[in-house]
Amino acid sequence: MKYELVSGFETHVELATSTKIFCGCTTAFGGAPNTHCCPVCTGQPGALPVLNKKVVDFAVRAGLALHCKINTVTHLDRKNYCYPDLPKAYQISQYDKPLCEGGYVELPGGKKIGITRIHIEEDAGKLVHERGFTFIDYNRGGVPLIEIVSEPDISSPTEAREYVEQLRQIMRYIGVSDCKMQEGSMRCDVNVSVRPEGSTALGTRTEIKNMNSLNFIERAMEYEFARQVDVLKDGGEIEQATLRFDEKTGETYVMRTKEDAQDYRYFPEPDIFDIIIPDEVVAREKEALPELPLEKTTRYINVLGISPSVAALITKHRKVADYFEKAVKAGAAASRAANFIVGVVYSTLSTEEEKDELSIKVSPEELAELVRLTESGAVNVTVAQSALSKMLASGLPLSEYIAAEDMKGVDDGELERICAEAVKNNPRAVADFKAGKEKAISALYGYVKRATQGKADIKKADAVIKRLI
Amino acid sequence: MAISTDEIKALARLAKLEFDDERCETFKEEFNEIIEFAGKINGAIVGNSSDIREIVGEETQYAELREDEERESLPPEKITSGAEAQNGYFTVRRVVK
Repeated sequence: MKYELVSGFETHVELATSTKIFCGCTTAFGGAPNTHCCPVCTGQPGALPVLNKKVVDFAVRAGLALHCKINTVTHLDRKNYCYPDLPKAYQISQYDKPLCEGGYVELPGGKKIGITRIHIEEDAGKLVHERGFTFIDYNRGGVPLIEIVSEPDISSPTEAREYVEQLRQIMRYIGVSDCKMQEGSMRCDVNVSVRPEGSTALGTRTEIKNMNSLNFIERAMEYEFARQVDVLKDGGEIEQATLRFDEKTGETYVMRTKEDAQDYRYFPEPDIFDIIIPDEVVAREKEALPELPLEKTTRYINVLGISPSVAALITKHRKVADYFEKAVKAGAAASRAANFIVGVVYSTLSTEEEKDELSIKVSPEELAELVRLTESGAVNVTVAQSALSKMLASGLPLSEYIAAEDMKGVDDGELERICAEAVKNNPRAVADFKAGKEKAISALYGYVKRATQGKADIKKADAVIKRLI
Repeated sequence: MAISTDEIKALARLAKLEFDDERCETFKEEFNEIIEFAGKINGAIVGNSSDIREIVGEETQYAELREDEERESLPPEKITSGAEAQNGYFTVRRVVK
């Protein structure tokens, strides 16, 4: 029997507010232990939580970006569990009335992954287990999170990657989170079950906790899928369990089984009343939504005529997409500008973070000028690319690298002379070309390029060479 | 009885507390007294709603929420002053093996 994978995700995203969800302490990452703390976020008796308005704004915005319905009357609940990462022994979260419900995330291939709900809650503190102690730092405790719960619509590790990538891009585009997985500002709990191919019933699921890397997510899902299929093929049953993925061995381990499953005893948070969100706030957030990454990619392909792979590379980072659009607005031919960005600008930005930041020394207007000169044939592509590389390195203007004579290219008489030379010095290539080996002519192009330091227009040279032979 | 011995044991497990059977029985009686007392409130509620929110009827308007403005945190030595701490960290007996 063949089995298929069924997976749903619970994704925690840390919101980019300045202060915590229920108090005015900073949300800055790191800091000496317990220096971003006050009576509220360390759960001192008598301290009262007051909800941060921006958390509501950001969660509403995230919900709208994922096509959710917004519950404008909502409330918070207490989720009780006894573990030292929570100073109050409960987490303030949302249970039966999440802020957002019923949306979807569209994958690049068009498949839609359903979003069950998005709710707001507070993050827990950080624990370090060393020697006979557990050391506790509550700096992260009370940092606002949204938890995005998907439907079990994901059917392969590749789809899981696409889903997480889309989610991350969208959250970054709308400015609600930096989604730095390595810093833990985006982490996923991955639910995995299997079922006979074609069946619609859901199998017993296991949950792999706290995944913060796309590669680990894919590996863990592959491992867990194979493990569950093996159990079923051997006539066994899947036990509902919470698992941990070991990055070193690539295997999953049981943290707890259903037997000792958590009993959270949710009840309405008595310190915070129902929250009433006016329709105008929802309308304002909707109005402020930018064009989202997948819509942008589609527009670049269909309207601007950019290849799908290049379009995806540009829309991946909002600042790059903004830069590109400014260059196009300044008169650059879209396709050429996109190729210069992906080919030349990206070669100077080695990490994804650097591409995200896009702090480069060439303005979109300068790029547009370079593209314009290239398109008009005044400068050939090789010279333009090399000039762009130098401009990116030095920050000096275009005129420093493209002199008047470069722009003129090579005059016709000169080109005629060099092409004749090329033919004369490459008898073998000429013979091969005449014998039908079309590619042999590239040796002659190479000669012309070298002789003119890349200034010659190769299209023109091609015509001259073919006339001469 | 409003609460069973098994429920008392489940609560003790969730609270990470251990009691012998005799203590559980005492707890059961005490819990029952508390629950029965709280039950009197139900009898005093006017109307049909069982949702505490509707009964209380209080709401927070969006405009009343806190602005995202930073306030100074407490000095860390003050934060940890009421608890066991080392090098600025709260400490408890190691919770994982």
